[in-house]
Amino acid sequence: MKTKTITAVLTSLITTTLLAIDSPPVGSAAPDFSLTDAKGKTQALSQYKGKYIVLEWFNPECPFVKKHYGSGNMQKLQEEYTGKGVVWLSIDSSAPGSEGSLTADQAEKVSAGWKTHPTALLLDPDGKAGRAYGAKNTPHMFVINPEGKVIYEGAIDSKRTPNPADIASSTNYVKVALDESMSGKPVTTANTQPYGCSVKYK
Amino acid sequence: MLMSRVTTARFVWLSGFLLASTILATTPSRAQVYQGRELVKAELIADTSAVVRGKTFTAGLLLRIAPGWHTYWKFSGDAGIPIELKWKLPPGWKAGAVHWPVPLKFDDPGDIKTYGYHDEVLLMQDITPPPSISEEKVKLTADANWLVCEKICIPGGAALQMELPEGGDGRPANAEVFDRYRQLLPKDLPASNPLTVTWTRTGADLHLKVHGENFARHRLVDFYPSPDDKVVVGHPSVESRTAEEVNFQVPLESGDKGVASLPGLLVFGEQADGGDRAAWTIAPGSTPAVAAKSVPAPSRGLLTYLIFGFIGGFILNLMPCVLPVISLKIFGFIQQAGQSRQKIFRSGLAFTAGIFAWFVGLALLLIALKGAGHQITWAFQFTNAYFVLFMSVVVLVFALNLFGVFEISLPQGATRGLLGVTAAEGNAASFFQGVFATILATPCTAPFLGTALGFAFTQSAAIIFAMFVAVAAGMSAPYLLLCAQPAWIRFLPRPGPWMVQVKQFMGFLLLATLIFLLYVLGAQRGLEALIWASSFLLVVSVACWLKGAFITPVASGRARVLAVIVILVLLAASGLYFIGEKFAAAKLVSSTTQTDGDWQPFTTARLQSELKQGHVVFIDFTAAWCITCKFNEASVLETSTVREAFRSHSVVKLRADWTNGDPEITKLLQHFGRPGVPLYVLYSGQQDEPIVFPELLTKSIILDKLGTLPRTVHSP
Repeated sequence: MKTKTITAVLTSLITTTLLAIDSPPVGSAAPDFSLTDAKGKTQALSQYKGKYIVLEWFNPECPFVKKHYGSGNMQKLQEEYTGKGVVWLSIDSSAPGSEGSLTADQAEKVSAGWKTHPTALLLDPDGKAGRAYGAKNTPHMFVINPEGKVIYEGAIDSKRTPNPADIASSTNYVKVALDESMSGKPVTTANTQPYGCSVKYK
Repeated sequence: MLMSRVTTARFVWLSGFLLASTILATTPSRAQVYQGRELVKAELIADTSAVVRGKTFTAGLLLRIAPGWHTYWKFSGDAGIPIELKWKLPPGWKAGAVHWPVPLKFDDPGDIKTYGYHDEVLLMQDITPPPSISEEKVKLTADANWLVCEKICIPGGAALQMELPEGGDGRPANAEVFDRYRQLLPKDLPASNPLTVTWTRTGADLHLKVHGENFARHRLVDFYPSPDDKVVVGHPSVESRTAEEVNFQVPLESGDKGVASLPGLLVFGEQADGGDRAAWTIAPGSTPAVAAKSVPAPSRGLLTYLIFGFIGGFILNLMPCVLPVISLKIFGFIQQAGQSRQKIFRSGLAFTAGIFAWFVGLALLLIALKGAGHQITWAFQFTNAYFVLFMSVVVLVFALNLFGVFEISLPQGATRGLLGVTAAEGNAASFFQGVFATILATPCTAPFLGTALGFAFTQSAAIIFAMFVAVAAGMSAPYLLLCAQPAWIRFLPRPGPWMVQVKQFMGFLLLATLIFLLYVLGAQRGLEALIWASSFLLVVSVACWLKGAFITPVASGRARVLAVIVILVLLAASGLYFIGEKFAAAKLVSSTTQTDGDWQPFTTARLQSELKQGHVVFIDFTAAWCITCKFNEASVLETSTVREAFRSHSVVKLRADWTNGDPEITKLLQHFGRPGVPLYVLYSGQQDEPIVFPELLTKSIILDKLGTLPRTVHSP
């Protein structure tokens, strides 16, 4: 009876630890990674320490990603905040051969064709960075503050649809989080349920 | 290959969102075609051949999905979006809520879990036409939107139309498909077989406990959450599962402190493909049947409950269970009256430490048990006959010691004189007395204590711990005060030879406690077990006498060794025979069928059937070892005035005997937010809310409440 109880307690402790491949909780340190960008350059998160960083999980074939790029919404955000010194990293964690997987060449073409404005588009074909952040969707957004802490994690905005017509009437959580934090205020909505396509991991 | 994929992507993007899913104009069903493949075929159907004025029927959105693709449930999980159905009904028409069939759970690489449907799904909705309809044919239209995914995801949508003739009697239509999906709808928690659904929260995790179903029958038992938009949930996982209980852990990722439960489905199934799946709806904070009417949410703050715990702990000192030990302690203070302040202070601290040690130990044990998914209760140890037996032995040995049959000697063979106690020894004894007093206190719940512990047991480990510390602080407060102000001890009588008599008299008080413990054993295990336990106690007494008579500093070494061997053999042999064999085999004979005066034994089924017949029901939750219960029964419930009042109001009296920790009773106690007995509840039949009485009853409380009931006529 006693051994059973102890075993049960231990098992639940162990499983909790093992299953904890969720996103780093808001307020915790952002895990570092090092990936190659579309231009073949190695980019590490740590090299941007001291700046606000936006991570955007990306898949050019996902209708939810298309919602925000097709309407120009994502490009506008990227332009506005990189202009304010924010580092914007788009990350494609699709496994080779799956939907949205890009070679460096294709990535360059998509970026040019869609007129995107991130600091860099990073390729994560083995899903290393994606899994470290528990990125589940495209788009799945993270905002990291200059101290290297995650201050926002979740959806890009409040209307969970693939319809571009909904963008105008929705609240953009990334924008709100950046604006609040950059003006020294705490982030009011720090965590939301992300929406979109699943990240196509290996 | 890869190149063409990207080209497609760009084409899709360039041609805009809507072109991604081409809708072919076929009425009434519409197909979503992607790259020449038909992915989803959508259609509106009704379960009637004609619309009858004012008569509700069921309409549905039927989606036929290409093999390998799937659409999403109302909570889509880590990806996807739910199917959306918006009716555009003519004025005067009403549509009910969407009925979602139990979904399947999909597991994709990267620990991505989603909920949805493949092959086919029917979303049903009740439609009520107005009392007058002018058209002969009714056109009903709805907009449907969905996301269909395989490896990739394609949004789809259609404006759908359905035409139904008006009038006639409306024969059933599409019966096969509606029946099939009605079978797949989640059901309400069964009221006939009361399950308990308990939500607790520790930190960022919710824990869902479902108790009462035969879970062993199902291969799959799972919880599918359906949180609202604001709440972000991780993946629910099964923490533990036994034949009748399953515990889920549901991590919350949004830092929402106010979330204490989530709506969702408790899903069962045998087949791996989920073809035979079924589910029960778990509404937020839902409790089925009887319990739905109880559990007032904690309306007070944590601090108030901790103060209650403190007050309850203080009052425990006055409860009859502890009195013998407390009198010992007071006696101890008298002994010390002539000693130095410091000694008194140390001994008081040791006693307090004993109280804290037991409560902290108990708190840790309860937290561990709770973590492992057990139900936790106050005084649960008294439902175990072996614990009661152990306590009997301790009480007897203590009494024999007071009679002077033997002395308790600590290492170094120091003899313990009445006044010449060494400091270390005195402190150890005080500590032991503290532990002892506290263990004996548990069969009583004092006023305030029940409320406080009942609250704490549903809370996190930290709060349970804090509560036990508060109770310990309350119980030890008087001694700490006395230690801090030893001057007050002056008001106690001076030590002298009279103390030897007082000490021996205390032994008789402990024997009285022993009678109570033996009574509990008898109630738990029956007369035979009581005899075997008493036989063992007799041998223990003999062993104590042997120790006092032969193991003395004046006895020779050989005699002492021999005495020790005899004592050990006696104890081992009698323990094995009387307890290991006879006591263990003794069973209580048919206690539940016994009627107890005009009291009927409680069962949940019995309660429900009485309530269904419109009877007023009073339940006495009691246990043989519960002194507070016995006191209430003797001084209130069994008095002629109260009995007469019950009779004149035709109250059905049920007695829930928790002596052996009956789990069915534990369940109900917890629904009333109580950690244990006593509990008194009156179901008045007229109103749904049962009346809960305080732990300490008075005649006037009972009579007042009964007075508010409408007088019922005796049924012949």
